[in-house]
Amino acid sequence: MESTDHQQQPKEFPRELPESTLGPAAAGELLQCVLQNTNDLVFVTDADDIIVSVSKTAEEILGYEREKIRGQHPKELAGDSEEFERMTAVLFEEGTVNRSDFPFRHADGHLVYCDVSFVALKDAKGTSTGCVVIARDITEWKNFQEELIRVDRLAEVGRTVSGTVHEINNPLAVINEISGWMEVVVSDSEGLNEDDRADLKTSIAKLLEQASRCRNIARQMLGFVRDTGPSGDSFDLHELLKNSVSFIFPELKSKDVEVLFDLMEGPLQMHSEPRMLEQVFVNLLTNAIHAIDEKGDGAGSIQINTRLEETSVVISFVDNGTGIAPKDQKKIFELFYTTKPSGKGTGLGLPICRNIIHKLGGAIHVESAFWKGATFVVRIPLRR
Amino acid sequence: MSEKADIKVLLVDDEETLLEYLSKRLLREGFTVKATFSGEEAVAVADENAFDVAVVDLKMPGMDGVETQKQLKKIQPYLQCIVLTGHGAIDTALESGRHEAFEYLLKPIEYDTLVGTIKKAYEQKTQVQNAKFREEVEDIYRSGRGARGIKKAIGKLRNIYGID
Repeated sequence: MESTDHQQQPKEFPRELPESTLGPAAAGELLQCVLQNTNDLVFVTDADDIIVSVSKTAEEILGYEREKIRGQHPKELAGDSEEFERMTAVLFEEGTVNRSDFPFRHADGHLVYCDVSFVALKDAKGTSTGCVVIARDITEWKNFQEELIRVDRLAEVGRTVSGTVHEINNPLAVINEISGWMEVVVSDSEGLNEDDRADLKTSIAKLLEQASRCRNIARQMLGFVRDTGPSGDSFDLHELLKNSVSFIFPELKSKDVEVLFDLMEGPLQMHSEPRMLEQVFVNLLTNAIHAIDEKGDGAGSIQINTRLEETSVVISFVDNGTGIAPKDQKKIFELFYTTKPSGKGTGLGLPICRNIIHKLGGAIHVESAFWKGATFVVRIPLRR
Repeated sequence: MSEKADIKVLLVDDEETLLEYLSKRLLREGFTVKATFSGEEAVAVADENAFDVAVVDLKMPGMDGVETQKQLKKIQPYLQCIVLTGHGAIDTALESGRHEAFEYLLKPIEYDTLVGTIKKAYEQKTQVQNAKFREEVEDIYRSGRGARGIKKAIGKLRNIYGID
């Protein structure tokens, strides 16, 4: 087969059955070897559209044994028979057809989306001898795409948050000012009995306290959503950890969780991505709070330790929540894996944490005994 | 409260409810207060009445805080301006009006901080104004006018500077 032949007969030649230099037995063996080892789903059908050869991977993707697939019509495996008919028509016309997300039906009924390509086979006289179907499972990629859309929407929310928070600050300032005014009036009023005056003053003080709490939340929100472009910065890790804790302080307080710092002495200067790390810390702390809340026996605590190991800093977050079952431990860093009730967890938090940490040249792992709490250990180089 | 009784404050902010209550509180504490809801209105009011301190919001529709401050200073050179800015806008604010404002305060403002700053701005204003007044008085003495002429000239200055 010289390349000039390809150029002269680009369409016909490859689909003709070449005269093999191998004997029939050797050719058959080679084909079996390919079908046994390829990672793709490969069918070969005969002139009657019956599957005669199938790759080993088909068992995994479709859930049937190879023997059960052989002898079937590919249409019986398709998850969308109308689309399959249309593809067959194109195949008949043009000799080849591709679809980037065609569904096959798995033995247990669910759809397996594949990137497929059909190529018709002909013999030297131009008579159809069947076709080759090559398909690659894109389920994960499809899920990933859907998740990307979701993440993008969340990112959009993040982008608008900063404007919204600024807007919230204005009415907050008004509430603050009116409360201040009421305080003055109540203090000076002559017609009030002293019990009422004291009661009103306490109420107004609480109003002011709540308004100031809102302001803190707003300020921290703005800090958190600030552009997290990779800039690289020198910062004190201990301060960053404390900021992360104060960011989720309202949640810690409402769930009655105590945070204990067991940090190395003094500030810990490092050069990395503080905003990204803050995101990781907040995520780990939030997970810990959920685990503690789920366990629900009170006395929740999260301990944060730092220590140096050569040129890295090692940060541990030790909680006394539910812990993580051994079967889940391997999977929690996988995209979309969640142990939270549906609608509560996205299965994104920890994978994103891991991505960030890897990006910063570090590592993250978990140690846990079920019902005994979990320890997340993050290791980050002191300098990027 | 007599120490504050003669501090005349001009407030400029488009958030009307906020100004309404801020004015009430400042008035009750003995400040003389005029609330205006836009830069344009503030400039018009400053054309008619003398003020010691202006509190100007940076972000307003129409004439913004930086421009308002410039216009006010043009009319009343000794007026001290306190500029209120939102979170994140402070750098722009500093850049555009660095030499103009007495102080920048981050919104939302703390009432006590504001009152403290207004008092400091007032002190600054009187100091600058008195220094200028003395300078001009000395000029008059040096001018070699007779006693009557000097008294008349100083009386004129007192009117200009609003000093009794």
